[in-house]
Amino acid sequence: MSEKADIRVLLIDDEETLIEYLSKRLLREGFTVKASFSGEEAVEVATNNDFDVAVVDLKMPGMDGVETQTRLKKLQPFLQSIVLTGHGTLDSALESGKQNAFKYLLKPIEYENLVQTIQEAYETKVQLQNAKFREEVEDIYRSGMGARGIKNAMNKLRKIYGLD
Amino acid sequence: MDLTDPLHRRPNNNDQEVSSCKQEPLHATRYLQCILKHSSDMIFATDLDGILISFSSAGEKELGYRWKDMAGRPVSDLTVDPTEFEKLVTIAQKEGSAVRSEFPFQHRDGHTIYCALSLSSLTNTEGQIVGTVGICRDVTQWKNLQEDLIRVDRLAEIGRTASSIAHEINNPLAIIGEISGWIGTVAGDAKSLSQEDREEIERGVRFIEEQTRRCRTLTYQLLSFVRDSAPSRASVDISRLLEETVSFLIPDLKYKGILVSTNLAEGPFLIDSDKQMLEQVLVNLMSNAIYAVNEKGEKGGRIDIETVRNESMIEIRISDNGPGISEENQERMFDLFFTTKPPGKGTGLGLPICRNIITKLGGSLSFETEAGKGTTFFIRLPVS
Repeated sequence: MSEKADIRVLLIDDEETLIEYLSKRLLREGFTVKASFSGEEAVEVATNNDFDVAVVDLKMPGMDGVETQTRLKKLQPFLQSIVLTGHGTLDSALESGKQNAFKYLLKPIEYENLVQTIQEAYETKVQLQNAKFREEVEDIYRSGMGARGIKNAMNKLRKIYGLD
Repeated sequence: MDLTDPLHRRPNNNDQEVSSCKQEPLHATRYLQCILKHSSDMIFATDLDGILISFSSAGEKELGYRWKDMAGRPVSDLTVDPTEFEKLVTIAQKEGSAVRSEFPFQHRDGHTIYCALSLSSLTNTEGQIVGTVGICRDVTQWKNLQEDLIRVDRLAEIGRTASSIAHEINNPLAIIGEISGWIGTVAGDAKSLSQEDREEIERGVRFIEEQTRRCRTLTYQLLSFVRDSAPSRASVDISRLLEETVSFLIPDLKYKGILVSTNLAEGPFLIDSDKQMLEQVLVNLMSNAIYAVNEKGEKGGRIDIETVRNESMIEIRISDNGPGISEENQERMFDLFFTTKPPGKGTGLGLPICRNIITKLGGSLSFETEAGKGTTFFIRLPVS
């Protein structure tokens, strides 16, 4: 399991008190946490900061959870979203964002379950990212751009994937 | 059929009317007899004193009397409210007719039969009133259906209210859970707290967690009860699902020393159904069985799981040798919020949810029980 401090979590829910205490607990747990109170705010935050895992409430005024996670995914393709949902809305949630979310959790969440899911989501993110990195590295080697060209391209790639 | 008697006995009423048709009076009489014999409505005629002079076959069937038991008796004897009936007769004789959409008659065995009732005055050819004719249609079933509909409607309304309350409760519940967890973390790290105080706080936090979990179970169950989503349909292997469910509960069973035996139809048995919903029902019924066996508290607790199938359906039987269900509780088994378990252990939602699910899947759920011997639940599901 990775160090929790490496895991950058973005929390998104309009219930401010809930988010306040949830982020306090996750921070104390060791995660790196950023809280936002709406989908719009989350998208803005994610434009300038990288995250590994987003925890999104499905039902929010304005931009809802499905829309938010889709937008986040566009900004950061490897970001994994955990969507929190009330029981009655599970089906519609699954239909509208099935392929996008890492997992759906029922509200009210079990804290231990959330912590574990965040860690699993992070592992998935890292694996996907590494696989894609290796794929692109191979592409570069196959491209026949020569040693110097390869070195430059690799450095660029390292930057993109934050592997410096 | 005796009902021809009164017609012959009082030729001055019907026969004269019939003969006014002037065509084949015999034919007309047969026609009337045919109506009296085959109409599914009860048709009766009385004289001016309200004494029965004719009663149709449907009436005999509907009220459980034979004509010979009733001949010469006042028709009001057959009603639940004779005074009200007399009033209607008076109206009919004064105004020519009287109608009630629902009038209670009494069956020979005492139960009430509701009829749409139409009374009209019977006149002879001179226009003199000589009695009353009544036509009654049994609307008991219709009335019951109407009452059921009202009840279903009310239940649906309660369900909607309950689900929106459950939703609203979920958020504060989540907050309470998070804050109590936070208090626990802070107290755990606080250096200046005495060991004793720390333990007190941790104990309190644990209790809050347990109780919020209890609330959460309740809101989940409520929501799943009213959740109106249609079941998904996919091929489900019933034998495998049963085995999976049993293995899921095995830790619980071993610990409690309960023997589980399965006797399943051989090989995979596929039906089109909703696996998740079925699983929920099976876990629920098996947990109930485990609870029942434990409640009896004797050694040698057993649960038998069996499938029986034919071409059109499969029956899953889940039997326990627990204490059985008392007669007074049997009727209430599927009532919302009815539970025999101690507070905190049962919500009274399990069985109504199970029945709801099985009905949605096109099947039926029932049970048989014997005091001291145990209980068997039967899930019947259509095969195709």
